[in-house]
Amino acid sequence: MKRYDLIIAGAGPAGLSAAIEAAKCGMKVVVYDENARPGGQLFKQIHKFFGSKEHKAKIRGFHIGEELLAEAADLGVEVVLNSVVIGLFPEKEVTVKIDNHVEHVKGDTILIATGASENMVTFPGWTLPGVIGAGAAQTMMNLHGILPGKKVLMLGSGNVGLVVSFQLMQAGCEVVALADAAPRVGGYGVHASKVARCGVPFYLSHTIVSADGCDHVTGVTIGEVDKNWNVIPGTEKHFDVDTICLAVGLSPMSKLCDMAGCEMEDNPAKAGFVPKVDEFGETSIPGIYAAGDVSGIEEASSAMIEGRIAGIAAAIRLGYISEADGKEKIAEQEAALNGLRQGMFAPGMRGKMITETEEGVSISQNLLKHGFVADDEIERFPGITHSKGIHPVIECTQNIPCNPCQDACPKHCIKIGKNITALPAVDEEQECIGCGMCVASCSGQAIFLVNEDCGDGTAEITLPYEFLPLPKKGDKGVALNRKGEQVCSAEVADVRSAKAFDHTSLLTMKVPKEYAMKARFFRKEEAV
Amino acid sequence: MRINEHPILGTYEKGELVTFTFDGKELEGYAGEPIAMALKDAGVMVHRYTKKQHKPRGIFCAIGRCTDCVMVVNGQPNVRTCITPLEAGMEICTQYGVTAKQPGGETE
Repeated sequence: MKRYDLIIAGAGPAGLSAAIEAAKCGMKVVVYDENARPGGQLFKQIHKFFGSKEHKAKIRGFHIGEELLAEAADLGVEVVLNSVVIGLFPEKEVTVKIDNHVEHVKGDTILIATGASENMVTFPGWTLPGVIGAGAAQTMMNLHGILPGKKVLMLGSGNVGLVVSFQLMQAGCEVVALADAAPRVGGYGVHASKVARCGVPFYLSHTIVSADGCDHVTGVTIGEVDKNWNVIPGTEKHFDVDTICLAVGLSPMSKLCDMAGCEMEDNPAKAGFVPKVDEFGETSIPGIYAAGDVSGIEEASSAMIEGRIAGIAAAIRLGYISEADGKEKIAEQEAALNGLRQGMFAPGMRGKMITETEEGVSISQNLLKHGFVADDEIERFPGITHSKGIHPVIECTQNIPCNPCQDACPKHCIKIGKNITALPAVDEEQECIGCGMCVASCSGQAIFLVNEDCGDGTAEITLPYEFLPLPKKGDKGVALNRKGEQVCSAEVADVRSAKAFDHTSLLTMKVPKEYAMKARFFRKEEAV
Repeated sequence: MRINEHPILGTYEKGELVTFTFDGKELEGYAGEPIAMALKDAGVMVHRYTKKQHKPRGIFCAIGRCTDCVMVVNGQPNVRTCITPLEAGMEICTQYGVTAKQPGGETE
């Protein structure tokens, strides 16, 4: 029987991070994963991550995955793919199904990092081909280059629903609507805004009445729900779609923990049935750890830190690192984790109604109900200023743990301060040179460079652009407002792409100056 | 349909272009990609029909968890097509219940 210092189930962000920390301490580590490729869901995450430098903010998820794999390989971590951990027994014995045989291995410590699975909702027609999980859409388009459909309705306004809606448009699909039974958008406002400004209508307090079609989806009917979640007759709306995408939450895949005899709990704050763990991720069984979504649904960024903590804790337990040195390393990781768990989307804030930011600014109600900040709401946020000449306009209106914009500006125009969740403010004393680093660095695509008056009756707006075909200088089209409505004609004045922008192009459009604070997206089309 | 060029990912790495059959009809796909992706590209939506009610099923989770996309591959039923790599010459058939044989009459 093979023996390891640490056996890890799951080669996602938590499992790989734990393996790296443990291997750094000299431990013999194996990571099993049932998939043909390692990295868990990281390779489907093509957006830039939130957080600060230590959380790998503004790096796209799949690049973080590549970094983790390279680091694990350098440290000699053994990653076994196409292998399913099917049993976890007393004395930390593990059975793994690899191809068509079962191997029996023993670990001195075990980490369960099996992640989560997608939730579903049922409605008439939900089993029809064409009804897919949001994860399936990501797998098809981001891993395999296959278009999930031509016209898609997204159900779910959490971060997954919002991010995947945007990704569907990047892949070339039309997202006809985004619906959610909840009365308010669940995910980050900045994610919602970048979807809304492309023209996707949001239907909050709406659910799917039925999926239509005989052999596959040909349409969908949604309807408004009352406070008891019943559809109000007469509110039904029909859309012709070939795909319905479900993004209705994730549940921890904690069966292995349960099987091992770890003490479990049903904890709504962690989104399901999870093992009880201490601050190091250790379960009720000494030497068995759990990290990442399996012990409570959060982001990949926090899963990586939880993994690192568990890896170090395992090393302390087996004596590969002194308790003092290990605790010091863990304290650094805990500080980073604590940073991510701040703000209005922190795990402890789930389900709470927030009306004001930490700064005391009223939250945009339109953002929560329709996915975009209304014209009469935007001015009250500290990122909105009106200097002469080119200046950043930061439409970041909720306290989320993220600060790359602050470091991106070489002229220090943008201030967040020590508190990572503070709303970015523009320092009008500093001169903006229009380099656009802030626009490209904002994971929420919420920063614009605006010259409100170019002196000839026009204004110029520079916006982040991540679609193909990329418009060219001189292209004529229309400007869309935050809601995605065409408001005026626009001409492309410049398009900048640079390695430092990491595939976010900066598109500068010229519009009549009265639209300087309204126009936020460009579409190459006939003028209105 | 395939995405030829993606604004973030660029172009996709693909295996060799191979032929396979779907219910006897010859189709093309890239070796190594999941069978379900090659079928999706070809516009195939229905992978199987349920045994009792003859209801269509297709791709749902695309990561091998839900088993909605199982088909008969080279004579073997219940193969998860979303995680089984495509090989040249594979014979893939719509699955009816747990076989490749279509029931005598419509059951609905």
